[in-house]
Amino acid sequence: MFYREAGQFRTSYAADQQLFAIRQDRLAVLALLAVAFVGVPLAANDYWFTAILIPFLVFSLAALGLNILTGYAGQLSLGSAAFMAVGAVAAYNLELRVPGLPLLASFILAGVCAALVGAAFGLPSLRIKGFYLAVATLAAQFFIPWLLVKVGWFSNYSSSGVITAQPMEILGYVFDTPAEKYLLVLTVVALLALAAKNMVRSAVGRAWMAVRDMDVAAEVIGIRIVRTKLTAFAVSSFYCGVAGALYAYAYVGTVQPEDLNLDLSFRILFMVIIGGVGSILGSFLGAAFITLLPIFLEVLLTFLEHRFNLNLAPGTTSMVQLLAFGALIVFFLIVEPLGLARLWQIAKEKLRLWPFPH
Amino acid sequence: MSAQPPDGEVLLAVDNISLSFGGVKALADVSFDVRRGEIRAIIGPNGAGKSSMLNVINGVYHPQQGTVRFRGETRRRVDPHRAAANGIARTFQNIALFKGMSVLDNIMTGRNLKMRATLFEQAIYVGRNRREELVHREKVEQIIDFLQIEHIRKTPVGRLPYGLQKRVELARALAAEPALLLLDEPMAGMNVEEKQDMCRFVLDVNEEFGTTIVLIEHDMGVVMDISERVVVLDYGRKIADGSPQEVRANPAVIDAYLGVAH
Amino acid sequence: MQFFFEVLIGGLLAGVMYSLVALGFVLIFKASGVFNFAQGAMVFFAALVFVTLQEKLAAPFWLAFALTLVVMVLVGILTERVVLRPLVNQPQISLFMATIGLAFFVEGAAQLVQLWAFRDISPRPLALGFQDAPIDWLLARFNMLVSRFDAFAALVAGALVAALALFFNKTRVGRALRAVADDHQAALSVGIPLKYIWAIVWSVAGFVALVAGLMWGARSGVQFALTLVALKALPVLILGGFESIAGAIVGGLIIGAAEKLAEVYLGPYVGGGIEGWFAYVLALLFLLVRPEGLFGEKHIDRV
Repeated sequence: MFYREAGQFRTSYAADQQLFAIRQDRLAVLALLAVAFVGVPLAANDYWFTAILIPFLVFSLAALGLNILTGYAGQLSLGSAAFMAVGAVAAYNLELRVPGLPLLASFILAGVCAALVGAAFGLPSLRIKGFYLAVATLAAQFFIPWLLVKVGWFSNYSSSGVITAQPMEILGYVFDTPAEKYLLVLTVVALLALAAKNMVRSAVGRAWMAVRDMDVAAEVIGIRIVRTKLTAFAVSSFYCGVAGALYAYAYVGTVQPEDLNLDLSFRILFMVIIGGVGSILGSFLGAAFITLLPIFLEVLLTFLEHRFNLNLAPGTTSMVQLLAFGALIVFFLIVEPLGLARLWQIAKEKLRLWPFPH
Repeated sequence: MSAQPPDGEVLLAVDNISLSFGGVKALADVSFDVRRGEIRAIIGPNGAGKSSMLNVINGVYHPQQGTVRFRGETRRRVDPHRAAANGIARTFQNIALFKGMSVLDNIMTGRNLKMRATLFEQAIYVGRNRREELVHREKVEQIIDFLQIEHIRKTPVGRLPYGLQKRVELARALAAEPALLLLDEPMAGMNVEEKQDMCRFVLDVNEEFGTTIVLIEHDMGVVMDISERVVVLDYGRKIADGSPQEVRANPAVIDAYLGVAH
Repeated sequence: MQFFFEVLIGGLLAGVMYSLVALGFVLIFKASGVFNFAQGAMVFFAALVFVTLQEKLAAPFWLAFALTLVVMVLVGILTERVVLRPLVNQPQISLFMATIGLAFFVEGAAQLVQLWAFRDISPRPLALGFQDAPIDWLLARFNMLVSRFDAFAALVAGALVAALALFFNKTRVGRALRAVADDHQAALSVGIPLKYIWAIVWSVAGFVALVAGLMWGARSGVQFALTLVALKALPVLILGGFESIAGAIVGGLIIGAAEKLAEVYLGPYVGGGIEGWFAYVLALLFLLVRPEGLFGEKHIDRV
């Protein structure tokens, strides 16, 4: 009963089109932002920032990108990590070779580079669909890291293509503590998430969903399939590219393009599936889930090992992780194909009535 | 909206259309015209090529021979989105709604053609995009009022009963403010009441908006009541063309429906 | 020139190995329309179970083979029951993603078995009796290096394909499988028991996975990298068509040969490593030109 909408009338279309039309939602989002921007920096320690919060945000952004492509536009992609790699390497080169370029401009331009590459690899989508398209993105996933390592120029001729990100500096202020990096990443991700939400509720978002649901009908009502699909690839790759730049600059510092591999692409896909396809919130929920799961499993296994005096071989955790991922994917696809986001929606609907039964 | 009586001017003409798939001839040398403001029915037994004809008109299929003349322009091959931009809208026999979206979003998608905001403006939302969304939302709400589907505007279309889905599909087609509306069996699967409602809507669209309508329909009662001229197809050929009364009395038409071998 | 033939034959024989894995994909796709991304993981799992039985329990070849086969059949039936049947009416993409999840699950399970049995995950050797040594008379006569093992693998693959072709075309069960592949509803309406058929299909696929696992395991040791081989099967299928056994063979040969030739002849110009992506790029180009593959069927979308 706390989530009642009763008494909140929307008397204009403008009011109805608002991002958060229900007062409780607005309050909740404001509270969340307050916690994220103010509360967390005060309460969290360095471990939380570097090992949990920053990767969570970085991968949320990548998951957001993939969700736009696969969840909203219906084009399956197994190449998200490759586009992250493009973003990381592009940002590095821009910072290295263009003196005086502002950091945020580097990030955005890195995203644009990734967008162009993404659109190029998206061209096959004009002729092929479904999981045949996944193969095309696999080509990207194998080819791009190879290229980034082989062409020495990309990594300034370092061995095995490793790039080490320069310190982050905006207008003379250096972001070097974990808390500062966290706030920077949070700001970028929050703004891009807002942009994504805006896009999916505008004409382009409707076009993406139309192409996903029934492209013949979409064509018939005047939507240009080619343009829509390529835009989806471009925007999605932009988001992955920026995520890649953040990955390099705010998370790992030193990037081996080979780390941004198929395994990571699968991981991002799992975030989208578990979190919820076609949902902005879902991208975040999925990223949180996948980021926290290994930690949870590690704790659980250590506990079980001590409790039952097992003698588990080293590396057991990562195997169990694979098992858990696999099982969860299948579970979610069968039980709730729309993921955690849908479960959240159902919870909200129950909250409308709670504590009353009906 | 001014009512436009059929003024004799030809809006659409198909000339000598022949269409084959592999070895199967779907349409053979079909020609007819449609005057502005009229309601034209295409009827015929199953498999006669009626849906294929609509698909040719709005560019989903490209005929091997023949041309389509619309608003003075003659073409053989049209892209579907070109046809939409020129003012042709249609509904489908098996509902082609976007199942993942709400009613409102489905109809708004019908307005996508008319929206001008760039991707960047959409990402920012406030400013030009917000104004545009509101303007088009007004238009869409007018159509929603017209078709009496206000109560389901936020419902995902997958949850709607068949009859309402058909109405939403009509709404989406109308959202484009088309000059020519192609309806593929708009009353299929409906009971008597639903059919009456749909007939009324079709007539209203024609009278209030002046939209020219071509519809495929099996129900003879509906055809007699609302259409001004009728084309009859059988095995891909045109076998009759005229007023409903003329066509009904035509022996070739009766034979076709009774299945007399010819 | 002779070097070219050496490389070519080496590539073709490597391609035969790809075909072995691709065959498993084709079987399941033919019968149930599902692209079983987990086939590679199953190859790995089969090889691992076999090696574990052989080494840990000192089982003789035939016993280990039989027991592993039973395990694979069980895995197949469980997969069909637990993963695929609940998703029967979902779009193809959902099924595909479910098999990705399944792949991860089987990989994790396989590696846990490996950890439990051998305490580490280094490659396990698997001896089949054929060495990776040159065939003597070929070396003597034509001065060409052709591995004995590769030739054996080609023979095995050939025998397997012949057996499968016979099975599909000459037996009642095979005919039923083809009917199911064509149209589930129609097959049901003539009384073909679908669930029973699917169990058979997954069992045969399990058998194929076991054979492929044995061959690959003998060639490069039983290790996790085997699952990556499955990914290579994707380009094979794109070239050959997802529903054709002949396509799996031809596609495998082409991919194997093309990859090797590219690495040897183009590799030096770009610093090597082409093998990692060449097959996929080739498949991509093929998709743009002939999406249904060399032996596949064209799909027409009716509106």
